[in-house]
Amino acid sequence: MSSAATTPPSVDKVDGFSRKSVRKAKQKRSQSSSQFRSQGKPIELTPLPLLKDVPGGEQPELFLQKLQQCCTLFDFMDTLSDLKMKEYKRSTLNELVDYVTVSRGYLTEQTYPEVVKMVSYNIFRTLPPSESNEFDPEEDEPTLEASWPHLQLVYEFFIRFLESQEFQPSIAKKYIDQKFVLQLLELFDSEDPRERDYLKTVLHRIYGKFLGLRAFIRKQINNIFLRFVYETEHFNGVAELLEILGSIINGFALPLKAEHKQFLVKVLIPLHMVRSLSLFHAQLAYCIVQFLEKDPVLTEPVIRGLLKFWPKTCSQKEVMFLGELEEILDVIEPTQFVKVQELLFKQISRCVSSPHFQVAERALYYWNNEYIMSLIEENSSVILPIMFSSLYRISKEHWNPAIVALVYNVLKAFMEMNSVLFDELTATYKSDRQREKKKEEEREELWKMLEDLELKRGLRNDGIIPT
Amino acid sequence: MEAFKLMRELKTNFEQESIYLPREKGLNLLETTLENDKQISAKCRDAKVEDLWSLTSFFGYSTQTFVQAVNLLDRFLAMMKIQPKHLSCIAISCLHIAAKLVEEECNISSSHDLIRISQCKFTISDLNRMEKIISEKLNFQCKAVTAFTFLHLYHEITLLHTSERKPHLSLDKLEVQLKACLCRIVFSKAKPSVLALALLAQEIEAIQSVDMLEISQCIQRHLKIADGELLYWRELVAKCMTDYSSPECSKPDNKKLVWILSRRTAQNLHSSYYSVPELPTIPEGGWDESASEDSCEDMSCGEDSLSSDTEVPCSPPSFHQRTSVPHSQDDSTHLGAACHF
Repeated sequence: MSSAATTPPSVDKVDGFSRKSVRKAKQKRSQSSSQFRSQGKPIELTPLPLLKDVPGGEQPELFLQKLQQCCTLFDFMDTLSDLKMKEYKRSTLNELVDYVTVSRGYLTEQTYPEVVKMVSYNIFRTLPPSESNEFDPEEDEPTLEASWPHLQLVYEFFIRFLESQEFQPSIAKKYIDQKFVLQLLELFDSEDPRERDYLKTVLHRIYGKFLGLRAFIRKQINNIFLRFVYETEHFNGVAELLEILGSIINGFALPLKAEHKQFLVKVLIPLHMVRSLSLFHAQLAYCIVQFLEKDPVLTEPVIRGLLKFWPKTCSQKEVMFLGELEEILDVIEPTQFVKVQELLFKQISRCVSSPHFQVAERALYYWNNEYIMSLIEENSSVILPIMFSSLYRISKEHWNPAIVALVYNVLKAFMEMNSVLFDELTATYKSDRQREKKKEEEREELWKMLEDLELKRGLRNDGIIPT
Repeated sequence: MEAFKLMRELKTNFEQESIYLPREKGLNLLETTLENDKQISAKCRDAKVEDLWSLTSFFGYSTQTFVQAVNLLDRFLAMMKIQPKHLSCIAISCLHIAAKLVEEECNISSSHDLIRISQCKFTISDLNRMEKIISEKLNFQCKAVTAFTFLHLYHEITLLHTSERKPHLSLDKLEVQLKACLCRIVFSKAKPSVLALALLAQEIEAIQSVDMLEISQCIQRHLKIADGELLYWRELVAKCMTDYSSPECSKPDNKKLVWILSRRTAQNLHSSYYSVPELPTIPEGGWDESASEDSCEDMSCGEDSLSSDTEVPCSPPSFHQRTSVPHSQDDSTHLGAACHF
């Protein structure tokens, strides 16, 4: 959709800063497309009869002809051109979708290459670069695909085709090959979420049906993720790919193959480092938890990995990490818990004392989780000493009263869990604080003495300040 | 003559302690009452005292504050018929009064904080009114002679008469034990001097110091405390200590505490990862499927780097695989078979 240049509004500066929306309106370019066509010549397609109006024997041939017609591409940048033909293609595509859904016996060997060809022509294209370098996936509106009226139907058609009862992978695999899959994967970078959603379904079905392509698909997804994490930090389809991976991980056979474990450690965990984590965190956390449910022994490397990449400056991410950690703890086995508890609670202790109240709040809320509480109870003699000093300190010092109230809940829980240890720790804490205070006072005294000494020296020398 | 002064102080306190004893009849009534909505039972009182202990710890108040608060509470409960719904208010008021008596001005938490942290439902004016009522009913004799007083005196006396190289008698430990005892209403019936002596004797026995034992017996004779009485309380103390230090922890009753979260955090909790995935599970495997021979050829090209295992199939798929998901018969067409969610 091209947009005519807007006359800039009279007031475009508020508080000395130009409003972002105003900036965007001025800069909005028309969406570009890599599918250039020669301008001028209108497209003419001979209208074909409807499939339902034709006797059964002639349908396969007609079907092929319609597929052929749908290989013609239209320019949606120009909203006024070829309107009649665009409508014709749209209704043809619609018809094909229905036909594929209900028909029997139309899938011959000849149909496969034609179908794949039509789909390839329509969907495979170089994606336009994003509007500006400042495109923030979390905040800005995505640029939608202009040719969606046709594109959607092509995707719909392809999915029905793949899901059809008569579909035979052994024939299809000649045409749906690695090259096809590679081009499909590149499309996941589309800005249009609707397209990505369809692509997700398509790839999911292909993965399911083409056993021979599975390893290739996994490898390519790995490459995409690794490039994303370590090179570009730009890819729009991470969430969708992770969703597919979720269903794959869920179906892993036990014992887990080494390849999959490597994937977890080398790809999934580093994915947590990325700045735009919020866009795909839910799906990522799901994958991680699925892995742990498959093989609990992976818990230790996962938690160590998370702790290694724990965000240090981004509180929003920290809150996400805490959420994910709670989900992991929800499924953790007690033996695994014991292995990681010290490292874990050292980090939690830091989170709880964070001056950012949302981080502290989220961490404190762990104590409302029954299962986590039962684990803490069993190991209170190890955990309580780690948590104690920060809890006690923030009960006195935190600026946020709501946090202080939550700390009371946690401390009370600890008191009831292990009163003897709690009392010991209180006593130690108090004596430590007293010792610190004493040292401070001594230091103050020392400085004062030094000052007095200087003054005395100064006075003796008749006010000449000694060098 | 330090020792002489201490002994005299001991005698003075001893003579005064009966003023501050809660009425025995009242305490008995509490003990025999069953739990119901109209009357307070011993169990209620004990639970409330435990709460006071938590609050004392939390606000950093001293043991003396706690002991004073419990004393005020017991005296008040023993003389008045209280409805359970007022118990919180009374307990917090006692704590506040005690804090004002004992703690330094700067360390006393405000009424507002007290109410907020203890998650009580009454207001500051309620609290102030209750404090007045309690003080009046107790004839403004708020600062009591308690077991705490005696404990300190005994400890000082003992230390005075023993050399430092002997096993250490820890006052902190005694204080904690006292707190644990006060959580049970039965100990409120004891005379403070006797209770303190029982605790002292118990601890001395534990550390096995002959010298200190002599001193405690000396004190007992000085105050003319009967052997039978002392023994009776020592047994109860011993039992209480066993329960207190047992490794079995009482499961924290989280239901009583309210977790108030900010709106944003609460929202984030609900948008958890359980956005149910729409994609059905794809079971792994299928190397022993009929299609595998063909897949052999396809596999050979893509399989270099990431799969480190030797699983690239070109060998007959005869190995046995355990799948965690019911293996669907015909992988190629029936995809939706293993959909979990």
